[in-house]
Amino acid sequence: MRYDVIVIGSGPAGLSAAITLKIRNKNVLVVGNAEVSEKVSKAHEINNYLGIPAVKGADLAEQFLEHAKSIGVEIQNYQIHTVYAMGSFFSLQTTDNETLEANAIVLATGVSFGKPYPGENEFLGRGVSYCATCDAPLYKGKKIVIIGSSAKEEKEADFMSEICSEVIYIPTYKEEPEVNGKVQVLKAVPMEIKGGMKADTLVVRNAESENQGLKAAGEGDAGQEIKADGFFILRESVSPGQLVPGLKMDGNHIEVNRKMETNIKGLFACGDITGAPYQYIKAAGEGNVAAISVVEYLAQLKK
Amino acid sequence: MVKKINAEEFKNEAMKGVAVVDFSAVWCGPCKMLAPVLEEVSEEMGDVNFYNVDVDENQNLAAEYGIMNIPAVLVLKDGQKKDILVGFKPKEALVEEIKALL
Repeated sequence: MRYDVIVIGSGPAGLSAAITLKIRNKNVLVVGNAEVSEKVSKAHEINNYLGIPAVKGADLAEQFLEHAKSIGVEIQNYQIHTVYAMGSFFSLQTTDNETLEANAIVLATGVSFGKPYPGENEFLGRGVSYCATCDAPLYKGKKIVIIGSSAKEEKEADFMSEICSEVIYIPTYKEEPEVNGKVQVLKAVPMEIKGGMKADTLVVRNAESENQGLKAAGEGDAGQEIKADGFFILRESVSPGQLVPGLKMDGNHIEVNRKMETNIKGLFACGDITGAPYQYIKAAGEGNVAAISVVEYLAQLKK
Repeated sequence: MVKKINAEEFKNEAMKGVAVVDFSAVWCGPCKMLAPVLEEVSEEMGDVNFYNVDVDENQNLAAEYGIMNIPAVLVLKDGQKKDILVGFKPKEALVEEIKALL
């Protein structure tokens, strides 16, 4: 089934957009989570949201959610890996390899994604990859490093160990990783990706490994260098430029105009992701603008 | 039209004029997404020859051009490598980037 609109993000911008779209009778799906947005629900007190003074973040989040649900907004907890602009529609691939389709997209993901490592953007596609299942066969019999941001990525490391000659797994979270015996776990802080024509080295600090061979590879103040053929960086939330190939950014934000249009036709953005000020009411307002622009776009598409 | 070729055909055909060669594989999701987009681009750019090479069936050719991540779109002018565009790109961006290389 193809939706009229998929809204990615369930914070104030995303829910505001979804509510207006629903009122305009569009078939809309919100991809997000039932807690609305961590940023809202963890806020101590919000004093400048019009009509709701001195409100606790958790209460405001609940009101947002109830409002959305009361008019029938559907929220699903998918993780979107990539949004493909196919021309007249969008194809969304989830991390579970499901495909969703929509005629228009509203991006309201907030700004919680991490900063890229130095060298990451430069070497993306030249030894740096974000998708193990996508690129694994290219690294058959080779040595790779996986930087995993959550325990969910451990199964990717297990999978890669079936294909690659050597897999080093660097968790950037606290829990003890549970991976199979062929995966070498290295506790270290990734610093930088280096290389020539293609990436060949990861610099880490504070390395401590049960594997003596790794530890012996040289530790100085400059950090330890790990040589490999490929570097997989697996994060829960990726920056919008990675989420939507071809999307034009303005620094860490998505470039939009006053109608919340991006450089990709049919794809709109709103909320913190379009830039400061990071205010709830500004996000909600932009969500409204994005929704109305989507309605216009859909009307044109039908002509 | 995007013509599917092997390494041998590549040496015979892609070395003349402007050739845009899409390196892909059947197991690659983004490649599947790029294929119909590239097909549309090829209809728009009539004076450019578009090819598709399966990296699994032509591993040496892929290695020769340093293909490490796919989809990868190799742009050749009279057999000279101009650049490799890596990853999925929307249609307008592809057309723009290919034109910029010519």
